[in-house]
Amino acid sequence: MSSTALRQKSSTEGKASISSSFSRYIVMVEKELLELVRSFKLLWVPLVFILLGIMQPVTTYYMPVILMQTGGLPEGTVIEMPMPLGAEVLAQTLQQFSTIGILVLVLVCMGTVSSERNSGAASLILVKPISVLAFIGSKWTAMLILTWGSLSTGYLASWYYTGLLIGTVPFAKMASSLLVYGLWLTFVITVTILFSSLLRSPAAAAFCAIGGTLALSLLISLFPKALGWSPGALSGFASQAVVSEITNSGRFGLAIVVTVISIAVFVLISSAVLKRSSTVD
Amino acid sequence: MNESIELSEILPIIAPIIVIQLILMVIALILCAKAEKTRGPKWVWVLIIIFVNLVGPIAFFIAGRRSD
Repeated sequence: MSSTALRQKSSTEGKASISSSFSRYIVMVEKELLELVRSFKLLWVPLVFILLGIMQPVTTYYMPVILMQTGGLPEGTVIEMPMPLGAEVLAQTLQQFSTIGILVLVLVCMGTVSSERNSGAASLILVKPISVLAFIGSKWTAMLILTWGSLSTGYLASWYYTGLLIGTVPFAKMASSLLVYGLWLTFVITVTILFSSLLRSPAAAAFCAIGGTLALSLLISLFPKALGWSPGALSGFASQAVVSEITNSGRFGLAIVVTVISIAVFVLISSAVLKRSSTVD
Repeated sequence: MNESIELSEILPIIAPIIVIQLILMVIALILCAKAEKTRGPKWVWVLIIIFVNLVGPIAFFIAGRRSD
């Protein structure tokens, strides 16, 4: 009874002023960040990315030695391995991020909405005069900070080690590929939050998000020309940006526009889904 | 071909990797000790965190704690 009254009151108050709803949104983001700090996520996710980033140049550098030590090769074998270019090692780092990095991020993010709905925390918060969009948006922003922070620290560490051990890569190239790849990760996170608000079970949300992005990447490697404009092509463009120049700039621009639009649409859809289902609850 | 590994040469390169893995392990152990309930027995998690490199702590962070 009282909750429905409050909800009606909040919907009239919702139109009160943009500035106050914005400050509420900031408070919500701070709460989400505090949650990330308390659960140590803001510490261990970047550490995992740094570790992934460092491992790639180090294992490439020591590959001949590792083969000698563990390969059980006959005495006197000479291994001639061409040392790859620094840019190629960075592209391999991006592949590491695409598999293990995305897995970690999606698993961290899978329960953001659904677990709060299951525990009833979401309906407790949404009874207060906070719009559903601010609720989803604050979670999205916090996950975005985590994603970009982890990706940048990990990629910078990889860049530093690659320069130290294998060969220097110009900072501008590394930075441009970082930006493109970050946009792809942002898309993945947004899809995860969408599934997290659509589905009740966090595990199902993670499964759908990972399956969806895998299917997208697979389709793109099958039909690179027909689907070159879709968000999934961004990871390929990121490797291109660091190894050479981006060749198909028209398709690349389209991919960025499509990705940004679909991110915005997905955020709106997830808040619409949550609004409908939470009033039913 | 001189492939003898000199520890003094390798150590500054490998040290950050070891330190990060240690930090992850310590955080996971602290959280495991503080957690009221874990999925499965706690001592198994402690063994996994200590002996499974990198994947052990991550697995605990993601799946180890039961929230209610």
